[in-house]
Amino acid sequence: MVPLAIARQTVREAMRRRVMWIFLIIGVFLIALGPVFGFLNPRESTVVLKSLGLAAILLAGLFITIVTCIYLIPVEIERRTIYTVLSKPVQRYEFVLGKFLGGFTTVFINVAAMGAVFVAMMWFQTHKSSEVTLIFQGVLMTFFQLLLLAALTVFFSTFATPVVNFFLSFGIFLVGNLPSVTDSLTTSRLAVTRIAGLAIYYLLPHFGNFNMQNKIIHPESEITNTNMFMIQNVEYALIYSAVLLTLGIVIFDRREV
Amino acid sequence: MAAAISIQGLTKKYVDVWQKQEVVAVDNLTLDVEDGEIFGFLGRNGAGKTTTIKMLLGLIFPTAGDASILGRPMGDNAVKKELAYLPEETYFYDSMTGWDLLDFYARLFRIPEPERSRRVRLALEKVQLEPKAWKRSVRGYSKGMRQRTGIAQALINDPKVLFLDEPTSGLDPIAHSELRDIVASLKEEGKTVFLSSHQLADVELICSRVAIIHHGKLLRTGRIKDLVAGERTEMVVKGAASNGVADKIRAIVPTAEPVVDEIYDEKSGETVRMKTDRMRLSTDDNDKINAVIDAVRAAKGTVISIVPHRRSLEDVFVETVRKEDGV
Repeated sequence: MVPLAIARQTVREAMRRRVMWIFLIIGVFLIALGPVFGFLNPRESTVVLKSLGLAAILLAGLFITIVTCIYLIPVEIERRTIYTVLSKPVQRYEFVLGKFLGGFTTVFINVAAMGAVFVAMMWFQTHKSSEVTLIFQGVLMTFFQLLLLAALTVFFSTFATPVVNFFLSFGIFLVGNLPSVTDSLTTSRLAVTRIAGLAIYYLLPHFGNFNMQNKIIHPESEITNTNMFMIQNVEYALIYSAVLLTLGIVIFDRREV
Repeated sequence: MAAAISIQGLTKKYVDVWQKQEVVAVDNLTLDVEDGEIFGFLGRNGAGKTTTIKMLLGLIFPTAGDASILGRPMGDNAVKKELAYLPEETYFYDSMTGWDLLDFYARLFRIPEPERSRRVRLALEKVQLEPKAWKRSVRGYSKGMRQRTGIAQALINDPKVLFLDEPTSGLDPIAHSELRDIVASLKEEGKTVFLSSHQLADVELICSRVAIIHHGKLLRTGRIKDLVAGERTEMVVKGAASNGVADKIRAIVPTAEPVVDEIYDEKSGETVRMKTDRMRLSTDDNDKINAVIDAVRAAKGTVISIVPHRRSLEDVFVETVRKEDGV
């Protein structure tokens, strides 16, 4: 009940932030622009809508997640609202969990809103349920990718300032989306680079695994088992997020506020 | 009477990143607060009052020492159900209404509905926040309304022990007096109040005991009536310049000093200090007062005034802190 109460209040505060609405509006606007660009290239209009829609949701979702989650804990400490919360029978893990749940619910609401617009646009353009299902799967994977990012950002927010958190989270998200870079590092001839590459490969979250653009945009490039692919990614996101939150709780438990 | 709060050797040191500079915020603090009393915790800004409260609430961790509240270790979650805290500045989620804010805090105590709504209403009524403001955003509240809301959130769980940090500072006289009365009424309800305040007149009025802390160290603690005991008498005599009476008075009261008049000279535009034949002295010893009267009469001088002065808590506080500072 306590984490839910904190989550509810967090969503409420987060939804009042103008910057979040700006990213949401930009995201919806880009998705809505899909058919316009499609007219410029009628043969590829569906491909344009899919590419633009998925990219818009990922990009807007990325910024919404980061700007929402980097402030969750530091702002409570800075504004000292945390005093009246932690002086009540609230365990620190409940506080971190509540903040994460609130941040992640905010991201969910935004991704769901953009996803709904995207699905609607796709339906109006293609009238094919198979296309809508693909879009739904893509949005779902983006959502879990952002869930993992939210956990990473909340983990950093237990000890880092918002500015440091922004660069750390954004940087790790970029590196995690570039598997080719980490792959090349792991096969480097230099032992130091190879070890560093392996550390990055195994420690940093593999955000790139959640991308379904290829399958959605080019259905002929089939994933062998889509269900297994999605289940494994969801499991990965949940387990990795749980580990990050546990570490965040351990750090926050020792932090003075 | 049992101790509601028992602090033993509580110490908090802050060390910089290089481990070179050390600041002792609270230094080996030991004190007991009895059950059902309003205890004044006094000190200058930066004396360590808020640090002590934050340690007791588990917001920061002590470097050494220990404390218990209602028989349980400080910071324990079980005891927090019985506690309340009003921070020095009322920091709230400004977008929420007064009602929603209290509802949120009540949820943190796991109070179910309809009891939650009943408690919210009771708390808002107790602090006399106008009902039309209950559903308004806290952002638009005045300082007094915010402070009332702060006290209301502290009462939402019907606590046994309240930590109030400057509950009446910066308020207009009416709000000040009303909130002070609310705090005073908590004693009648059997609650223990740990009151940190600079408003010494308030503390003197509503607290039974106080502790004076300075640079993190406990300087004095005790019942207010014991601390302010010892009436002083201030006396002014005339004719001290004649017949060596000044020396006689100084022999009785060494701190006696001549009265100096300051006269503004319009021509030069300067203030001129002029010695008079009057002397001022102050003592808490009635025998000395009588001896001075005899000496002045024998020298044909005049006793101009004898005014008894009751010591206030402010006198005790200033005296204690200055003595420690060597002023």
